[in-house]
Amino acid sequence: MKGKKFYAGVASALLLSSVLAGCSSSNDEGSSSAASEDQVTVDIFQYKVEFKEQFEDIVKQYEEENPGVNINVKTVGGGNDYGSALKSAFASGEEPDIFNVEGPSVVEEYKDYLTDLSDTKAADAALEGTLESVTDGEEVHGLPYNQEGYGLIYNKTIFEKAGINPDDILTFEDLEDAVETLDNHKEKLGIEAVFALPAKEKWVTGNHLSNAFVAPEFNDNPLDAYEAETIAFEKGDEMKRFLDLQNQYSVQPSISLDYSQQVEELFSLEGVAMIQQGNWVYNAIYEMDPEFAKNNIGIIPIPVEGHEGSLPVGVPNYWAVNNNSDDEVIEASKDFLDWLYTSETGKEVVLNDFKFIPAYEGYDTSQIADPLSQEIYQYADEGKTIGWVFMGYPSAWTDNVLGAYIQKYLSGEMTWEELEDISQSKWEEARQ
Amino acid sequence: MRNRDVSFWLFLTPVILSLSLVVIIPFVYGFIFSFTNWNGLTASKFLGFSNYIKLFQDAEFVNAIWFTIQFSVVTVILLNILGLSLALIVTRKLKSSNFLRTIFFMPNLIGGLILGFIWQFIFISVFDDIGSALGIEALNGWLSTTTTGFWGLVILTTWQMAGYIMIIYIAYLQNIPNELIEAAEIDGANSFQRFRNVTFPLVAPAFTVSMFLTLSTSFKIYDQNLSLTNGGPHNSTQMVAMEIVKTAFSENQMAFAQAKAVIFFILVATIAIAQVYYNKKREVEM
Repeated sequence: MKGKKFYAGVASALLLSSVLAGCSSSNDEGSSSAASEDQVTVDIFQYKVEFKEQFEDIVKQYEEENPGVNINVKTVGGGNDYGSALKSAFASGEEPDIFNVEGPSVVEEYKDYLTDLSDTKAADAALEGTLESVTDGEEVHGLPYNQEGYGLIYNKTIFEKAGINPDDILTFEDLEDAVETLDNHKEKLGIEAVFALPAKEKWVTGNHLSNAFVAPEFNDNPLDAYEAETIAFEKGDEMKRFLDLQNQYSVQPSISLDYSQQVEELFSLEGVAMIQQGNWVYNAIYEMDPEFAKNNIGIIPIPVEGHEGSLPVGVPNYWAVNNNSDDEVIEASKDFLDWLYTSETGKEVVLNDFKFIPAYEGYDTSQIADPLSQEIYQYADEGKTIGWVFMGYPSAWTDNVLGAYIQKYLSGEMTWEELEDISQSKWEEARQ
Repeated sequence: MRNRDVSFWLFLTPVILSLSLVVIIPFVYGFIFSFTNWNGLTASKFLGFSNYIKLFQDAEFVNAIWFTIQFSVVTVILLNILGLSLALIVTRKLKSSNFLRTIFFMPNLIGGLILGFIWQFIFISVFDDIGSALGIEALNGWLSTTTTGFWGLVILTTWQMAGYIMIIYIAYLQNIPNELIEAAEIDGANSFQRFRNVTFPLVAPAFTVSMFLTLSTSFKIYDQNLSLTNGGPHNSTQMVAMEIVKTAFSENQMAFAQAKAVIFFILVATIAIAQVYYNKKREVEM
């Protein structure tokens, strides 16, 4: 028995020592990184999964050109995932040096951590209006990623076959006529329905669809929306009309239709003639059918009275630099972002590898890679745009309120008036 | 209980240490934060009970609790009936019983997220195709209404967990002494009577265990909910765990979500303790 006890003692001592060893090993790492003192390490925490590889490549190139800088990139997929991951990073003390802020509400939340970037070259070069939602007085708290735009993406061949000229579609009535024509010749055109409305994706209805009709109310400015105590739904009837049209002529049940069915299954395989989406779908369509993506898709604006022929164009996200980092790290971060958006090499990469619509001056925009982006850039260039005010909606209002109630409306469990009333009161609640 | 020497505590230390690090300390912290206006970064104000008062007026939270309770009642009943039936089938002397055990248990090995996506495909595409081929209206548009979303979740959970519950019942069924069954047989009991009066009372401890397991799991379901319906349509198939995560991360009200989590914890703990207490009472000694 004594022998048994002895072994038990030894075993437990071993266990304990291994536990303690586990704790202490982190200290060793700390001392080894301190050895190379002249190195500046910049931690980047970003959200855009689509360009992860291209971004890492360009970071490597930058590191080679600037041997004193060491950059670590961490990517976490879009939406809520990124928001919560970023928050955890801050809460756990592992604050990144460069991170992403989406709009006014995130800026407000991280206010104490944001460096003023107004002295950067990139901030100077940013296109007019792109900095609005991250500017506080003189201070600029973020640098735009790129520009994105959305509208009704259509299938050129189907439109041709049906004898519709997309350039003629400006007002709601024009669109209605076109939709009816398409619907009447469904069989001849070989389509299942005119639209694919993915009401399951609350961002498509709650964010994008509503934005086109709400933007005029807030002067196309996300900050105005952010400061608004209430929302009037001035163009609520128009919004209803447009939603109804999409729903009526959509593949059913629209309420369980999701993004990948909409873009990959239905639109890319030419099962529908039109979808409400933005230039970000280009890669998905390209993967399905490169030929179709290159030659056969175009975009027409959502018809908003008084704003006919304008596309909602905006900046999806901004780069922010952490104020808590050491001064040299902040400098290095700013230099990197400047280099990325204003150096010749950077510009090349932004256009050709990232396939971005640039949000900065001084780009050779004829090089924009895909036709959708090209078209959207033209609209932006001619100033025919509607703002992205949904960045200024109360956080989660789009998802948990408007998007959800639109589903309820579409399934017939709620009238449009009820939807407007309840969304309005939820907005006011959130703003108190 | 005299073995409280050094090695006893030394062996226990790693467990106590890790348990307190990942469970106890965060729990206490969370409890404290639920009384503040914590937003994930800072907590500047002590609010007292106002988070708790607010949460009972939160229609979405109340709906989620109600939906979860309904869901749990249905799944607990279904899972136990199905688990026991499967166990009875595979404890018969069938040639294929080992094969069947494996098959029934298999869904349990797939992660909830993946399962959700697989079933989403089945409900939306496969059901739709079968429905239009056979002209059965009821198969179209699954997951697009609250009712079908509810049953979708029930089917998914039952399918996934039935094999696991089956294993528990098998263990207890195999423990029943053969003499008892034989004695009943000699006394002239038919197979239904044998099951009702001999087998059923003797597997009562299995009921305690598997009811506890099914109850606590179905209350806490998150990943299947997320991948199958994501709460849709219009947040009506949203269960409590998901509602809490949403409040925390998309509505950005960390402290409020924490208060909800505390209430949720109390609810689940109460129900589970009550269930174990009553089930224990009706177990019989062999």
